[in-house]
Amino acid sequence: MDLDFTAAEQEFRAEVREWLAGNVPRERLPSMDTRAGFEAHREWERQLAHARLSAVSWPREYGGRAASLIEWLVFEEEYWAAGAPGRVTQNGILLLAPTLFSYGSAAQRDRFLPGMARADHIWAQAWSEPEAGSDLAALTARAEPAGGGWRLHGHKTWSSRASHADWGFGLFRTGPPGERHRGLTYFLFPLAEVEVRPITQLNGAPGFAELRFDGVFVPGDQVLGEPGQGWRIAMATASSERGLTLRSPGRFLATADRLLRLARANDADPVLADEVARAWLDAEAYRLHTYATARRIAAGQEIGSAASMGKVFWSELDVRMHHLALRLLGERGPLSAAAPDAEDDGRWLDGFLFSLAGPIYAGTNEIQRTIIAERVLGLPR
Amino acid sequence: MNFAFSDDQLALASTVRDVLRDHCPPSAVRTGRDRRPAWAELAGIGLFGLLVPEEYGGLGLGLADAVLALEETGRAALPGPVAETVAAAPALLAGEDDLLTALAAGRTAVSVRIGDQVYVPDADLADLLVLTDGGRPYAVPAAGALLTLQAGVDPVRRLYAVAFEPRAGRPVGGDPLAALRRVTVAVAAQLVGAARHLLATSVGHAGTRRQFGAPVGSFQAVKHQLADVAIAIEFAAPLVYRAALSVDADLPTAARDVSAAKAAAGEAAERAARTALQVHGAIGYTAELDLRLWLARVWSLSAAYGGTAVHRSHLREALLASPAPRRWP
Ligand SMILES: Cc1cc2nc3c(=O)[nH]c(=O)nc-3n(C[C@H](O)[C@H](O)[C@H](O)COP(=O)(O)OP(=O)(O)OC[C@H]3O[C@@H](n4cnc5c(N)ncnc54)[C@H](O)[C@@H]3O)c2cc1C
Repeated sequence: MDLDFTAAEQEFRAEVREWLAGNVPRERLPSMDTRAGFEAHREWERQLAHARLSAVSWPREYGGRAASLIEWLVFEEEYWAAGAPGRVTQNGILLLAPTLFSYGSAAQRDRFLPGMARADHIWAQAWSEPEAGSDLAALTARAEPAGGGWRLHGHKTWSSRASHADWGFGLFRTGPPGERHRGLTYFLFPLAEVEVRPITQLNGAPGFAELRFDGVFVPGDQVLGEPGQGWRIAMATASSERGLTLRSPGRFLATADRLLRLARANDADPVLADEVARAWLDAEAYRLHTYATARRIAAGQEIGSAASMGKVFWSELDVRMHHLALRLLGERGPLSAAAPDAEDDGRWLDGFLFSLAGPIYAGTNEIQRTIIAERVLGLPR
Repeated sequence: MNFAFSDDQLALASTVRDVLRDHCPPSAVRTGRDRRPAWAELAGIGLFGLLVPEEYGGLGLGLADAVLALEETGRAALPGPVAETVAAAPALLAGEDDLLTALAAGRTAVSVRIGDQVYVPDADLADLLVLTDGGRPYAVPAAGALLTLQAGVDPVRRLYAVAFEPRAGRPVGGDPLAALRRVTVAVAAQLVGAARHLLATSVGHAGTRRQFGAPVGSFQAVKHQLADVAIAIEFAAPLVYRAALSVDADLPTAARDVSAAKAAAGEAAERAARTALQVHGAIGYTAELDLRLWLARVWSLSAAYGGTAVHRSHLREALLASPAPRRWP
């Protein structure tokens, strides 16, 4: 057991650090939830892709570097420590891509991955429906067979970044109604043909959207996996979302480091200082835990439901850290980027509002705790 | 980087676990304390010589090699000064050939009073006491010290006030600070082990105790409390393992990492204890159920070698005072 990076890992870290130091925009990009900000983030992603840094863990043929899991974690540590922009491509690169690698056909991988890595196609996830949130298996949007493909009908909602994104992936019912997990199919569809109604979030920007499908045609080769297999495949995507793919430690380490600087600069009183120290160490615990998990994955072990423990831990840590920052800032805490006196371009307030969604998306923390109790601890249903 | 235990480290822990299952069942913890159950068998597998240099018959290993085995001793609530003997004694007795040889052979159980510790745990079960006096460590045969029991909640891990004549002691050349760090990590590991036992026992009880026609573990309010215990343990353990590595390599962050380990393990274990009692209901509130042995052990260990508040305040100082901490090179 050790915590020593190999020479190769250190070289990779140095390369990433140097590239970021020379390329991360000095000015904060406008929010990716606005049209202009979305496109600015797309441009940034293209720059990353040009340096083969947008999807380092993918095989080279799709634009990656075949980086190991540890190298990918190193990339993330450096990325967030450098204050680089949020990843507008995350639903594609971090959620859909791992699922495409496991369940997609070679033709689908060739067709979708390169454009995803270059941010030509930015993806949105479409699971939730007005009447199917935590109880996703209650979903009613459906797909009907139609000459060589399918027609999609129904209503999805809360689809992050769908207001401006290019493609969507989602679950539709191809079996009889009311069959819950059975008879669901995983579709890939262009958003251009879907009716998209942007929804304004707590921060005032349309970060997610409602999607209405009125018989949109989708050819058969845009089904991921087999028809009827959708639930199992979607659960693979969901475990990427809970686990270390979507929310690697890097971003929380960077937040904890910024929080510590804020506490030092503001002469935090001992009560807040104590909470800051605790949060910093919790981020450290998440980092160490993830290194151990990476090792287990590299050794071929399944992480399975244990990912739910990480999800509760990182999402609650994130809320705690941002809330602490607002408390440290006192009266200036609630100031937004538009305010002349805002700290750090309003990053703390934006981060606070964003952090509050963490315990809700990717399966609420109540649902996660039940999963931990039943599937990790083995308590009766 | 490879933050995972080696096959040897895992094998040692599993051997210790097997030995403790056979020789230190809860009944032995409850009634066999004074016979130091399983100590002879653990000596047989070399547990007490793990950290002793090879030239004295030890294995010359590091704390990182022993930390999982120590966790097992916490899981079993093994009686006797095991953390002190395994982790503190080799550092305190460094350079004392005869004492190290006896230690490695498993002939000497050692308890200690170092750092700000006031009481000596399990002094009556030790053969040798290493006591600091004016910052200097002295080895004192247990028979040559005056022990006063400070009775407490833990009937097994007993605390003693110890007086000794410096003339009766032999000055030893070891390093009390190194010993203190090692024993603190060892106790943190035991707390993790005790917490794992408490969680497993509570899950077992919640799965079989029925009310309202259903196992109480099917109620969400119970499930979620136990899930929170699982999360606390899951994220405390890596801090303990890292502290062992930092101490072995004498890293500049060792003091901070030790405090992080003890604080996190103490909090996780106290949460496990609190939840275990709640999930058991009244039966957990009795002296008859073995649960109380682990509850008391957690309360006792979490106060040992600096309680959570002490370590939290060290951490605050370490992180908020200059220079700013670094996580990686
Ligand atoms: C910022 C944000 C972005 C999102 N992005 C996407 C996206 O891109 N794509 C997408 O498909 N969805 C997205 N979602 C939706 C998200 O997946 C759902 O919000 C989530 O699954 C919860 O569903 P719900 O909101 O309908 O809440 P409900 O299911 O109505 O839950 C309401 C409350 O009841 C609790 N509850 C429900 N059932 C149980 C139970 N069995 N036991 C205990 N408590 C329970 C919940 O924990 C919650 O506290 C996003 C949500 C947010 C906030």
